[in-house]
Amino acid sequence: MPQAVAIQPALNVRRPGWRGWGLFAPMVAWLALFVVAPTAILLVYSFFTGEGIGEVDTHFTLENYRRIFKPVYLDLFWRSIVYAGATTILCAMIGYPVAWYIGRAPASRRGKLLMLVMIPFMTSFLIRTYAWFTILHEHGLLNGFLESAHLIPTVFSHPLNILYTPTAVMIALVYTYLPFMILPIYTSVEKLDPSLIEAAADLGAGPTRSFFRVILPLTWPGAAAGILMVFVPAIAMFAVTKIMSGGHIRLIGDEIQEQFEGGGDLPFGSALGMALLILFLVTYWISAGRSAKVLRGT
Amino acid sequence: MKLFHIVLIVTMVLSLAGCNRSSQKQQQRLHLFAWSEYVPQEVIDGFTKQTGIPVDYEVYDSNEKMLTKLLSSPAHYDLIQPSEYMVEHLIKRGLLEPIDQSAIPNVSNLLPEYRNPEYDPGMKYSVPYMAGTVGIVFNSDKIKDPIRGYQDVFQPKYAGRIIALDDNREIVSWALDAKGIDINDVTPANLTKVKPLLADWLKLVKIFNSDDPKPQLFSGDVDLGVVYCGDAAKLIEQDKKFKYVLPAEGAHRFIDNLCIPKDAPDKQAAEAFINYILRPEVSKIISDKFPYTNPNGAARKLLTPQQLANPASYPPESVHLEIFHDIGKANADISQLMTELRNGR
Repeated sequence: MPQAVAIQPALNVRRPGWRGWGLFAPMVAWLALFVVAPTAILLVYSFFTGEGIGEVDTHFTLENYRRIFKPVYLDLFWRSIVYAGATTILCAMIGYPVAWYIGRAPASRRGKLLMLVMIPFMTSFLIRTYAWFTILHEHGLLNGFLESAHLIPTVFSHPLNILYTPTAVMIALVYTYLPFMILPIYTSVEKLDPSLIEAAADLGAGPTRSFFRVILPLTWPGAAAGILMVFVPAIAMFAVTKIMSGGHIRLIGDEIQEQFEGGGDLPFGSALGMALLILFLVTYWISAGRSAKVLRGT
Repeated sequence: MKLFHIVLIVTMVLSLAGCNRSSQKQQQRLHLFAWSEYVPQEVIDGFTKQTGIPVDYEVYDSNEKMLTKLLSSPAHYDLIQPSEYMVEHLIKRGLLEPIDQSAIPNVSNLLPEYRNPEYDPGMKYSVPYMAGTVGIVFNSDKIKDPIRGYQDVFQPKYAGRIIALDDNREIVSWALDAKGIDINDVTPANLTKVKPLLADWLKLVKIFNSDDPKPQLFSGDVDLGVVYCGDAAKLIEQDKKFKYVLPAEGAHRFIDNLCIPKDAPDKQAAEAFINYILRPEVSKIISDKFPYTNPNGAARKLLTPQQLANPASYPPESVHLEIFHDIGKANADISQLMTELRNGR
C-alpha cells in the first residue's frame, strides 16, 4: 500500500473502467464490512457512558476522550510508542542486511532463503511465544547452555534472569515482526539495478556514500512499508507483552482488551481504540510524507 | 494477485454460507460455555454417550469475559458456569432462565449447606458445580519462615519469588482483607486506603497468571504465591513440599455454578447435563481431575482419604471466608486503580 502512495506522484493514473471497479468491488465490500462498519460502531460507542459490565448509557458525552488525557493513559500510549519504536529500529537494523543478502543472492537460492523467513508463520504465534519460555526461563535452555559452556559463573555471575523483564518483551516483539520488515525490503532490493551501485562507485562514491545516496533512497519504498508494517501492529500488540513480562508490562493494546473483556468500560475502550487509530493515521502520514521526500531526493 | 483476492473472498463467502446452513438444521445440541480447565473431556464424552446429545464446549478465563460474550451472542449458549457474584449480577439483570428442579432429581446429592446459597436462595437459577478458596501456596523447601497470611507473603525478602492471580478484583480483595475491610465494601474511600499497600505488593510479584501457575511453582521460577485452591491441590498431590494456607486475615471463597442463560435454545439438554454431572460417579471424575471443593455429598463418599485430606481442596474452616457480591460500577474503579498501580502511579 505505502509503495503505491509513494510512487503515485510520478504516474499519470488512468481512471479505471467498469471492469476495473468490478474487480475492485469485493475488496470494497470487504473493507466496508470489516473495517469501516466496525470503526463506525467504535466511534459511536466512544461517545457513550459505561454503566458496569457490558452496559452502556447512550447519552452523548466527551468524558471518555477527556479521560484519555489522564497521565496514566498518556503514559500507556507513550510506553507503547517507545516499545513499538524500539522494535521497528531493531527490526530494521537486523532485517535490512538480511533482506539485502537475500535480494542479492543468486535467483535460484532466493526462494529457499525466503522460505526460511516464512517458516515461522506456519506455527501459531502464541505457540512461538511460549517457545521462548522454554529458552529464557531461569532453568531454561539458554541458562543451561551458558552453564555447560562455563560462561556461568565466569562471564555472568549468576543465571540470566531474562524472562518476565522488558528484555523478554523486546525479544518477543522483534522476533514476531522481523519477517514483516524483511519481506518488503527484499522486494525493493531485488528490483534495484546493480549497475547503479557500480555507477556510484565509478563516480567516486565510497560504500557509505553510495549506501546513503543511492541504495537507501532506491530501496526506501520497501523500508517505509516495512517500518509501517512493524510499527503499526507493534504499537497495538497485546497478549505477548503480558505473557513475556509476567503481567508487569502493559501496553495500550492490553488496556483496550481489559476494557472490553475484563469488565471494564466498553465506551472508554472504544475511545482508546479511536485514539490508537488516530496514532496510526499520524504514523502513516509521516512515513508516506518521508517516502515522497526521499523519492524526490531531498 | 487480484485473482487470488477474489478466490479468497469467494471461498470465505461460501464457507460463511455453509455455516449458516448447518446451524439451520434442527438437531439437539448442547452449547456449553465454561471455565477453562474445569470440565473434564471424559465427562463431556460420557454425557454424549449417555444421552446422544453432542456438546459444543467453549471456554473462558474470567466471569467478565463470559458476560461480554454472552451479551454479544444472545440465544446461543445453553449452559454457562458463572461464579457466585456473577450469578447475583445475572439474576439482577434478568439474564437467567429459571431451572426446573424436578428435571434434576440429582440435586438431592448436594450437601445441605450448598442448597440455599445467599446469592440465589432456593437455587432457582443456579446449581453449584464446584467451590473453592483463593489462598497461599508455598514451597516449604525454599520458604522456611512461617506463612500465615498475606503480610507474610508480600515481604521484600520474597521480591521476585511471588506469583499471583492476574485478576484485579481478587488482588484488591487481598489488600482489603489485610486492612480488615470487608472485601465487598469496594468504595472509593476504601480503595484509597489500600492503594499504598497494593503499590508495595505489586512490585514484589514476579508473575501475574490466572490460567495455570503450576509450571512456574513446580520448576522453581517462583516459590510462593496466591492461587486458586484447585491448582494448589494439584501441586500438593504431586509433591508434599507444597503447602496451602488460607490467609489468616480472611479469604475469598468462591462457588461456581451451572446456569441456563435467558432464551437458551435447548433448556432440556442443559438440565440433562446438570443432572448428569450431579451423579456421584461423574462428580468424582471432576474431583479427580480438578481437585476443588466438591459440593456433592454423595460424590465425596467416593473420594479417597488422601483426596479428602488435601488441605487445599478441603481446608479446615478456621479462617474467615467470604464470597464476592456483585459490586456493579465499582468494577470500573478497581480497573482504574489497578491500571494506575501497574503503571507506577
